[in-house]
Amino acid sequence: MLAELRERAAHALELARRAGASDAWASASRSRGVEVEVRDGQIEKLQESTSRALSLRLYVDGRYGTFDTSDLRERELAGFVREAVAMTRALEPDPFRVIPDPALFEDRPAEDLELLDRSVLAIEADTRIAWCMEMSARARRHDRIVSATVSAGDSHSLVASASTNGFSGWHERTSISRGGNVTLQDEGDARPAGYHYVGGRHLADLPDAASVGDEALRQAARRLGATQGPTRRGLVVVEPRAAGRLVGLLLGPASARASASSAPSGAGASASACSRRACASPTTRSSRAPSARATTTARASARGASPIVEGGALRTIYVDTYYGRKIEAPPTTGGSSNLVIEPGTRPLDAIVADVREGLLVTGWLGGNSDATTGDFSLGLRGHLIEGGQVGAPVQEMNLTGNLLTLFAGLIEVGSDPWLYSSTRVPTLVFEDALFSGA
Amino acid sequence: MGIDRKLPIVQRCAEIVSGLDPSIVKVEISWGDGDSRVLIADLSGRLVYDERPTTRLYVTVTAERDGQRQTNRANIAARAGLDFYTEERLREVAQRAVDRTMILFEARRPPAGEMPVVLAAGASGILLHEAIGHGMEADFNRKRVSIYADMLNRQVAEPFVTIVDDGTLERERGALNVDDEGQEAGRTVLVENGRLVSYMHDGISARHYGVGLTGSGRRQSFRHVPMPRMRCTYMEAGPHTRDEIVASVERGILAETFTNGQVQIGAGDYTFYIKNGWLIEGGRLTAPIKDVNIIGTGPETLRRISMVADDAQLDTGGWTCGKRGQSVPVSLGIPTVLVSRLAVGGESAG
Repeated sequence: MLAELRERAAHALELARRAGASDAWASASRSRGVEVEVRDGQIEKLQESTSRALSLRLYVDGRYGTFDTSDLRERELAGFVREAVAMTRALEPDPFRVIPDPALFEDRPAEDLELLDRSVLAIEADTRIAWCMEMSARARRHDRIVSATVSAGDSHSLVASASTNGFSGWHERTSISRGGNVTLQDEGDARPAGYHYVGGRHLADLPDAASVGDEALRQAARRLGATQGPTRRGLVVVEPRAAGRLVGLLLGPASARASASSAPSGAGASASACSRRACASPTTRSSRAPSARATTTARASARGASPIVEGGALRTIYVDTYYGRKIEAPPTTGGSSNLVIEPGTRPLDAIVADVREGLLVTGWLGGNSDATTGDFSLGLRGHLIEGGQVGAPVQEMNLTGNLLTLFAGLIEVGSDPWLYSSTRVPTLVFEDALFSGA
Repeated sequence: MGIDRKLPIVQRCAEIVSGLDPSIVKVEISWGDGDSRVLIADLSGRLVYDERPTTRLYVTVTAERDGQRQTNRANIAARAGLDFYTEERLREVAQRAVDRTMILFEARRPPAGEMPVVLAAGASGILLHEAIGHGMEADFNRKRVSIYADMLNRQVAEPFVTIVDDGTLERERGALNVDDEGQEAGRTVLVENGRLVSYMHDGISARHYGVGLTGSGRRQSFRHVPMPRMRCTYMEAGPHTRDEIVASVERGILAETFTNGQVQIGAGDYTFYIKNGWLIEGGRLTAPIKDVNIIGTGPETLRRISMVADDAQLDTGGWTCGKRGQSVPVSLGIPTVLVSRLAVGGESAG
């Protein structure tokens, strides 16, 4: 299979050259995904799909275009590449668009990133169904159960890439996930729901099906009796699985691309804070590209761990080769691969025990932020914290402010990072945050 | 259709935008179009063919004044060809994007907490989509996970509230000739004079409830399974006027443009994010506002719709709805509406 994909990528480069491209980068892939879904103990969905695709990046007379197709028949492919080259010629020339310098990939690391787990490839259909049935049975153990939908899925992909200036490489990876969504009957018409999903590259990294079902039910049960919370300024504790969104919003604009999008010579809210304090001092953040069993794959030019925020100050931004040329900065990587916040010393429970009065955020609902100014406003669900205890569930509330101001008020980072995401963030504690409800 | 016919439209739009204000420092025009052809055959012998063109032009403007930078957007969309992009339409969307950006320099956050919210005609239809529409898709009710599961034939709003999901509105982004199960797309009244009268059905839910199909079975592509989805969701005109509604509010906000929304089907809580709006004080619009999230519960919001104006309109922008991993194009609209109380994510407590 790998030989076939390599040959396909090389052939696409040849077609591109013949059609008039000065340079090209081609990736040929094959991927397979399987998913089982069980609702209330009965199989509701069995899905399997396999796809083959070709992606092309073309450099034509100082112009640049990207193209994808799944039609790999020889005649159609040749026509597709000809049309792609013609379309690229219609674009405006851009002197910064040139194929990446071979020096960036010539002596790239060869270490095993553990992206492939062969035990995922060996999973049989009956096994996925058995996991789902177990999760479903555990998730339904509540006298107010309305419905529980659980799922188990896995995938495998193989990608071969080549370029006209000498790159040749491939990667193979697996992923696996399982989880469930549980709905309970509350007083009146309300049917609060809770969910729990876990995922990774290796089967052994996932908790067992029974505990996933139990946790999905616990998440739903803690929403029973939720009411609208108050409006005030105070301490906000954000659970690990919810904290990733805040970090994503903060660092989303921390790229040369975002800077160029918000203004020609300017920067996004986070990028403009480069080398300024971006958050309070106890925290350090790193982007670690080739992390073992990484949830996402490292990019070609990424090398090792690089600090994005260190000692509370923004140290660098994501710079790909194109924007690197534009802003005359050395490329780092095009975007986050695995974003890790260095953990603190205490888990969520210990942190909450020291909070006299505050709000625990367990999840977000909608909301948005302005990448240019950093202003944000997010809907939230959670619990009041009173006297060191997690209290009544609340809903219909917002957290509003400016991301730089919010993170300047970050006073503690927990020891308990959420492990099932490429953004590994522990509990975050913010002081003087504004949450609003009734 | 070749890029040689599309590029001049994009370039013309960029030219118009750039000339509208000297403080504009960056203009991005993005274009997307699609041409989907669908042939549906089922075991009953039905064979149905549909062509579904889509087109959307998106304008992003960044401006700088006194070292401060603001970015905002506007877009237009339809099921149409290149003839949709008249000079007048390009000028209109360009002006709208620039106006929305420039007013951000003066805008501030409103106070936080519960207050009356006036929803401007057009794009505020996102309220219907998030707060009501998803909860009335029949699959959620068949599974009993929607907060509306036991509300059919109940009075859920004032008698002047009528909400429709319509697949037949010509050229609208959410319009369909037939749905993805081959059923002719019709007009489905969801709430009639305040009473919840129908869900939106696919074949499975229609059989479950023993009712007729509504032409709402949609899917993203051949890779996906059809399920009940909205098409063009709107509220019909009511008995009040916009001026009456604004004048009735002592202290609240007017919401004009939005970026996104989300809903929890079972708990019924939903949100949408206001990009532009106005503070209302003493029955008058007094100051522009920006970047606030609104959150409420669907049934409670329906009950709190206390005034509906006579200025119903569909939003001209293109919306895409995501549900269970599938995206489909939709349209939405509403007249000016007053919701007597909603939680507003403002900036100062009080």
